[in-house]
Amino acid sequence: MAATGALTMAAPVPRKVRERRETRQVFYVRLVVIFAFVAVWEFLSRSGWFFADIIPSLVSIAQALFRLLVNPAFWANLQVTLLEAAAALCIGTFAGVVIGILLGANRFLGAAFEPYLYYFSPTPRIILFPIMIMWFGVGLASKIALGALASFFAVALSTAAGMRQIDKVIIRVGRSFRATPWQMATKIYLPAMRIPVLTGIRLGLGNALITVLLAETKLSNQGLGYMVNTIYQRFDIPTLYALLIIVFIIAGACNAVLGYVARRAR
Amino acid sequence: MGSVQTATRPGVSLDADKPVLIIDDVYKTFGDAEEAVTAVDHVSFDVKPGEFVAVIGPSGCGKSTLFNIIGGMLGEYGGDVRIDGERIAGPHPAVGMVFQEESTFPWRSVIDNVAFPLELRGVAKSERYDRARHFIGMVGLDGFEKRYPSQLSGGMKQRVSIARTLVSNPRILLMDEPFAALDEQTRLLLGDKITQIQQELKQTTLLITHNLTEAVQLSDRIVVMTYRPGKVKRIADIDLARPRTSDVVGSDAFGRHVADIWNDLREEASRGMQESEQVARADRRRG
Repeated sequence: MAATGALTMAAPVPRKVRERRETRQVFYVRLVVIFAFVAVWEFLSRSGWFFADIIPSLVSIAQALFRLLVNPAFWANLQVTLLEAAAALCIGTFAGVVIGILLGANRFLGAAFEPYLYYFSPTPRIILFPIMIMWFGVGLASKIALGALASFFAVALSTAAGMRQIDKVIIRVGRSFRATPWQMATKIYLPAMRIPVLTGIRLGLGNALITVLLAETKLSNQGLGYMVNTIYQRFDIPTLYALLIIVFIIAGACNAVLGYVARRAR
Repeated sequence: MGSVQTATRPGVSLDADKPVLIIDDVYKTFGDAEEAVTAVDHVSFDVKPGEFVAVIGPSGCGKSTLFNIIGGMLGEYGGDVRIDGERIAGPHPAVGMVFQEESTFPWRSVIDNVAFPLELRGVAKSERYDRARHFIGMVGLDGFEKRYPSQLSGGMKQRVSIARTLVSNPRILLMDEPFAALDEQTRLLLGDKITQIQQELKQTTLLITHNLTEAVQLSDRIVVMTYRPGKVKRIADIDLARPRTSDVVGSDAFGRHVADIWNDLREEASRGMQESEQVARADRRRG
């Protein structure tokens, strides 16, 4: 390495190398876990110890997955579920950020209302589904409403906490440069709480997906949850597993995108 | 202006001797009437253009309160802090504050941190980057424009804060122990930087500190405060020649000044120490 580069780079390089080696090892372990899981699965499926229907062979799952992917009905249902989850997350996030800011900014409001949010947030939203059906009908709207409610709590609570955790000195800096209230909001408060808000949205996304899918399995005539129901009624277990894999991938992908955004924001 | 306590003229001669900043009989108490604690007790001094003044005192002498009053962060106080005859009652455009705590914006790169005050004023991007770059160079951080605060050391972050305040072109640079969290060597070297900048910009500066060497190294005058309630004990002229570098800490004159001010400060500091020990004992008795 050139002498000039060595001056600033010499110390960090060995650590980086070590870190890279570690990341590679972690990656290998993950691969091994997947292969081991697949191998054990296939072994059990062929062992004949279970009904073939309970642990179907990987080949039949792969075939089912392929059949799903070329089936237009699957894509239509997927679209419905994603639309519901996205709409739910948007509504829940917007309401959650607004309410969270109010609760975080005003100590009185926070003290008065936050316990309700806190204690209500872990209750399973699905028990409200019958009420949502009465209010919004059996179509998409009731699932969106329930999903919005589910994501709202996570976003509101973490926004309120994020607002309170803002480093006070940063607010003083804004004041000392005589920022206007609008500038304080957009250039100090919002960026300062971006990480808790994004964390809330990530949790909210999970909640929205779960709730929407669950509601679909309860009462609907479209969406992935509805598909799960009908497939189960046909006892088409390989397709059920194929659908599960797809839902895993979707949830993982959404989470990865939000995680990437959160890392970029740091 | 009746009661302004003006010390003898500083060793450095300045053509404009009319003070920019006048602190006139400033008084501040905290708490309810019965249990009120006097933080700042009728403090008066002034700062002339281009002058570097340090306020030194033990913890609990009300220096930070004074910093907040001058910075306009505490609206209600007794007496007057005046800039051009205008009484301070909120953040004043002529005052640029640098805080003790690490105060860079972690979500902004160095250049966007430094350009922040200009962004608030709606200065166009290319111009504010040009001006930000100028001050980033002045604090010795060229090449770090695109870095984020998390990639910088404590001393570098404080330099970003100082550049951010300087870019707003304040007539008075007001700093509250900006190097308190840094080690002694970094502190001495940053002191050099501050002296350089101050001489280059003829920057009028008021530094709040509890660090003796720092105060003597940088100042033209030092306001020594008493322990609670915070009064002015003495205003000392530091007649060390300028331009100064940190080499000055080895000189006899520097040693004499430090000893001289420590003489005044020791009494106050030990009073502060005794009182906090008493409080600690009382707390322990109470359980």
